[in-house]
Amino acid sequence: MPSSASGPDSSPFIRAVGRALPPHYVSQEQLIAAFRELWATRHFNVERLEDLHRAVQVGGRHLALPIDDYRALVGFQQRNDAWIRAATELSETVVRQALDKAELTPADVDHVFFVTVTGVATPSIEARVANRVRFREDFKRTPLFGLGCVAGVSGLARAADYLRAFPTHTALVIATELCSLTLQREDLSIPNIIASGLFGDGSACAVLRGGEAPGARGPRVVASRSVFYPDTERVMGWDVVDTGFKVVLSAKVPNMVREHIRGNVDRFLGEHGLARGDVRHWVAHTGGPKVLKAFEEALELEAASLERSWRSLREVGNLSSASVLFVLGETLEGPEPRPGDWGVMMALGPGFCAEMVLLRW
Amino acid sequence: MTESELEVLAEIRRIAADELEWSGTVEPRHDLLKDLQLDSLGLTVLAVGLENRFRIRLSEEDAQGVRTVEDLARLVAQRAAAPRTPEVRP
Repeated sequence: MPSSASGPDSSPFIRAVGRALPPHYVSQEQLIAAFRELWATRHFNVERLEDLHRAVQVGGRHLALPIDDYRALVGFQQRNDAWIRAATELSETVVRQALDKAELTPADVDHVFFVTVTGVATPSIEARVANRVRFREDFKRTPLFGLGCVAGVSGLARAADYLRAFPTHTALVIATELCSLTLQREDLSIPNIIASGLFGDGSACAVLRGGEAPGARGPRVVASRSVFYPDTERVMGWDVVDTGFKVVLSAKVPNMVREHIRGNVDRFLGEHGLARGDVRHWVAHTGGPKVLKAFEEALELEAASLERSWRSLREVGNLSSASVLFVLGETLEGPEPRPGDWGVMMALGPGFCAEMVLLRW
Repeated sequence: MTESELEVLAEIRRIAADELEWSGTVEPRHDLLKDLQLDSLGLTVLAVGLENRFRIRLSEEDAQGVRTVEDLARLVAQRAAAPRTPEVRP
């Protein structure tokens, strides 16, 4: 199956990535202390749950609200209203920051892709952001809900597809995830307890321009590839319940990576005459320690290859779709990339599925 | 199996059906990994469910001799019958 691709020189390029975290930082130990009493209402061996929280190797999270405010959020409406307020605020911040870094203005934006899986809004968040930053009246909107962790890469790939059709245009990909506002406190199942230890809040915005737009700077999106794994609906997702989103999380995720990612990456690279050894920059979604380990083992990567992903996981947790854009932003702004370097972005998410993007600096 | 082991077996069956979305049968001879297809998360869910129901603690070391449903039922029944070490709280 062909990738979405065009010649390297006419490919869209990623000009900048803005990133922002909410202001309410809480260490993992503070979170464990906050949860302990609740866990003890149902679970006998609370130490086991504390160990599960520590095993995800996350040092702390930036929360959308002060930690004491979460107790009052009991219904879906309360959680989602808080989500809309915080998501709009954070998205505006990353849009302004990303456009500043790209030396562009809101009037330069032709299309906004907004991805999330942690809240719902109509009008969607990019419309609310438009009222604050004033995009042009003819800007196009594509809100994407439900792709989960894969959406950072998928959103970027779909924006690049669009820019191949409109090569003079500029597109934004906003990924805003406030996982803390999905937390079902009363769900004391093990998957939910693990999720409450792993997922954090954050937002990122990538600025992409078509291959014929002026000011080429940053890596080009040479190609992308989606891979769908049939009959894996219960590997990850939400069960939508009266109180909101109840997490579906299976331990099969790292196994899916081990089983599939090597073949997926090798075929994708092979179509472009490349092999894994040609790739200098691996921009991987920070799924969790087992997922990152599975990436490293399956792709036979050197120890430092995923260092940015490991560091992001340790510092802020898994930010769902925004995570991979955080890692991309840090790679773009770091000293390592040189003209001619190849990079691969990769993420997996509910479906179950994978998305890969081939970058060239 | 003893009466208390059968009680543990019933709880294992309940956890498998209610919490692990397991639609097949659960028999004492079944291998936890091969027959019930439990992964690390599934094993944790099972262990936590048994700890809660029987007010016991299971450890990594406990898992060494446990391969089948019957092995697990025996371990849990023994642990539940053992005199509880008084908890020391500061």
